Amino acid sequence: MIETTASPFPTIRLRPWLGILAAAAAILASWMGLVWAPTDAVQGDVYRVIYVHVPTAWLAYLAFVVVFLASIGWLWTRRPWFDALAVASAEIGVLFTGLFIVAGSIWAKPTWGVWWTWDPRLVTTAVMFCMYVGYLLFRSLTNDFERRATRAAVLGVIAVVDIPIVHLSVLWMNSQHQLPTVLRAAGAPSLDPSMGMTLGISVVAFTLVYLALLVERMEIERQRQQRMLEVRR
Amino acid sequence: MIENLGFIIAAYVAVWGGIAVYAVSLARRRGRS
Repeated sequence: MIETTASPFPTIRLRPWLGILAAAAAILASWMGLVWAPTDAVQGDVYRVIYVHVPTAWLAYLAFVVVFLASIGWLWTRRPWFDALAVASAEIGVLFTGLFIVAGSIWAKPTWGVWWTWDPRLVTTAVMFCMYVGYLLFRSLTNDFERRATRAAVLGVIAVVDIPIVHLSVLWMNSQHQLPTVLRAAGAPSLDPSMGMTLGISVVAFTLVYLALLVERMEIERQRQQRMLEVRR
Repeated sequence: MIENLGFIIAAYVAVWGGIAVYAVSLARRRGRS
């Protein structure tokens, strides 16, 4: 029987600061990406889309790894806090996946000449998007809290398999998409240092945005859980 | 003149705009709950 929706970890009051910090980092990252970073010798300025495309992709991966870990947490401990973390992270992961598909499509048009092509990276990403949209829809199939959390957690554990498939699809299959430039087995990132720094700041900015959204979304879910527990009593 | 400026701006507006719309929707959902 579930008695509490409290966090199993010590909590720090971050909410007011996190939003301000995320907004400031987003402005800095955008300025660096649009103005400060040098023009690419091959692609020209259109490569600047990388500073929103790559961080949204990495944050989508991170969000779904958090869903996986939170799902394990729920299955292990039956603490509703883990279920709130899983649903919050899944929703933000779907948002980021959608945004990285859109940004990638906008980048593809001037570089590849098409908005979309049936390339392994694009297709596996679209499958990942559909899987986590399915995860969110799957949760609405039952109103029984524990059954819903358990079924969703099983799906959250299985769906994480798609992340390495998306990332490594460009190595495993013939792909039009460029090979990994930063997270690669061949050694150091193949990026100019100032471009690498801009990308690093962008990743920090998007991580802060993810955390700010996660805290807000979890609070909504925990309030809903508390109402459900009160109705039961 | 920066080449492909429209594509660059469109990508930034789509990503940051999408995040902003989601953040506003969270604030509204929180206000209702």
